[in-house]
Amino acid sequence: MRKISKLAVLDYVHEWRISICFVLALATVLGPILVLFGLKFGIVGNMINQLVEEPRNREIRPASSGRYSTDWFAVLQARPDVDFIVPRTRNIAANIQLKSEKSPYILNVELIPTAMNDPLLPHVKNPPTDYTSLIVSQSTAKKLALQPGDVLDGSISRHYQGRNQRIHLPMKVHSVAPVSAFSRDGAFGSLALLDALEDYRDGHAVPDLGWTGDKVTKTGYYTGFRLFARNLYDIDPLEHWFDEQGIDVHTRANEIDTVQRLDKNLSTLYWAIAPIGLIGFVFSFGASLWANIDRKRKELSILRLVGFNTLDIVWFPILQGLITALLGWLLAIVIYQLTSVMINNMMTSQLEPGQEVCYLLPIHYGIALLITCFSALIASLLAGLRSATIQPAEGLRQL
Amino acid sequence: MEKETIALPHKKKEFLFNLNNVQKNLESEGAAFHLSIPKLQIARGEKIALIGDSGCGKSTLLDMLAFISRPTHSETFHFQPEPTDAKPVDIGSQWQKRHISKLTLLRKQHIGYVMQTGGLLPFLSVRDNMNLSRHVLDLPEDDTVTHIARELKIDRHLDKLPDTLSIGERQRVAIGRALAHKPAVVIADEPTASLDPYSAKATMTIFVNLVDDLGVTLIIASHAWEHLKKFGMQRIYHNTRYMEQRTESIVIG
Repeated sequence: MRKISKLAVLDYVHEWRISICFVLALATVLGPILVLFGLKFGIVGNMINQLVEEPRNREIRPASSGRYSTDWFAVLQARPDVDFIVPRTRNIAANIQLKSEKSPYILNVELIPTAMNDPLLPHVKNPPTDYTSLIVSQSTAKKLALQPGDVLDGSISRHYQGRNQRIHLPMKVHSVAPVSAFSRDGAFGSLALLDALEDYRDGHAVPDLGWTGDKVTKTGYYTGFRLFARNLYDIDPLEHWFDEQGIDVHTRANEIDTVQRLDKNLSTLYWAIAPIGLIGFVFSFGASLWANIDRKRKELSILRLVGFNTLDIVWFPILQGLITALLGWLLAIVIYQLTSVMINNMMTSQLEPGQEVCYLLPIHYGIALLITCFSALIASLLAGLRSATIQPAEGLRQL
Repeated sequence: MEKETIALPHKKKEFLFNLNNVQKNLESEGAAFHLSIPKLQIARGEKIALIGDSGCGKSTLLDMLAFISRPTHSETFHFQPEPTDAKPVDIGSQWQKRHISKLTLLRKQHIGYVMQTGGLLPFLSVRDNMNLSRHVLDLPEDDTVTHIARELKIDRHLDKLPDTLSIGERQRVAIGRALAHKPAVVIADEPTASLDPYSAKATMTIFVNLVDDLGVTLIIASHAWEHLKKFGMQRIYHNTRYMEQRTESIVIG
């Protein structure tokens, strides 16, 4: 086997012109298939990533104010398809005026309740639980020149017993939220803070903070919620559940549906084109190997004559086919790499940093190599077996 | 014609080949060819000239003697490569049992084959082409090839590729390869037919001298006896009858 392998390689090198043709023929068919698949994989992969990575796609928002009890929240919290839920106080009460010593502005910001594992704040491991910590939005941080740890003066006013009252609350910046979390002037705070602000505005006392007012009668009801489904597929059932409860909600189901349909259509298109290319590739490759064995018949007869056995004779063209497969595959990868770099550069402006519209995983290269070698093996095995059944004499007299 | 047994007088039983009633039928495009060998005994060290027109079945007989072509029928087809008392190899039954690898092994070890033209691997140097018959037997790298090349007057071409050589030189490379592994028998099918008369004569002289030196049995097919008679060879004829759609050829040794 070692001897015949060496001879096969020597012959392959000796006929380098024809060998190059075989390799080129293989690479020019395999290369575009890789590019096509890379595009399909890249485009669809990006879409799915965007869908999954953008938490807002999983958000379910109430269409109007309601009246939700803490028990109701407990029920939803327990559902496996709910990733995150936190009650919201009345919008009108959920704001605060902020002032920083670093900036002359007084900014009125919206307050959003947050809790552990807020999908909009994926990097926050210990969200505010007290009355004074705030995660400020980028816009707020910029306008007030804030950095984590900075001290703030928060103030709210109310009309109580015929007079206007204003109280001040010393606050501090817990951190700055990513721009994707909230685009306007806003801040994330604990539910306790939002409860306190709402109570104060309603004329209630907040003993914890020393704010005076009417005696608190805890209602235990909220007018809204922030809810995120576990994943995209959980949105539909949750929407159904809200429907049954008579609660009107907004979701991004339509957008998701559109993208998923586009993915499906693209896949269909790919699977319509790729098999044609693949079949064409297998046949053209097989044909060239088959033809090669016809050409090699003379040399195979000589090898037989000097005493190489049938297995050697079959192995000779198979090894050459495998070499072609390997080199063609390598060249196809080079073609693919060049093309994909070109495509990705062309698309840079429409992509986020690090995103690629055309890309393949290492396993895809492996699968391509396997398919190539397998078809090389089948084609040259069939042809090799055919040449092995010929008596050496027949080949000799054709010289 | 009387069937004559050809053997060296002092070694009556030393037959390299011993054939009795061996037949081969070929059929192509409606024309049938029938080759019959009633009796053929070739002793070790003999030089046999197989004389006959083209188409009489010389190549078919040679291919059978080289275990390349399968006899259609054989009563006795014995091969005794070594001068020992061991039982000869029954080639007929090897074919019958389809022991192709055994036949391949016998050919590799004991037979050198020279074709009318070609038979060289274009991707190997002259040296490697000549050495191929030794290489497949794992014989040691020694000066055998160089020595034979010198005898064949092709030693200056040893490191060239065959396609840079003339036809005559290529034939000598093929002869060199057939002899390099010191086989029991060299079979040559019109080895000088494609050469001009002058180089044909020169090549044949070198060939036969080399065979004599190495003590190898030689079987040469040729269409003309005149080329060979001065080399002291035994003659075997083909008695051929050409009929419509059928050719019958009987080998007469």
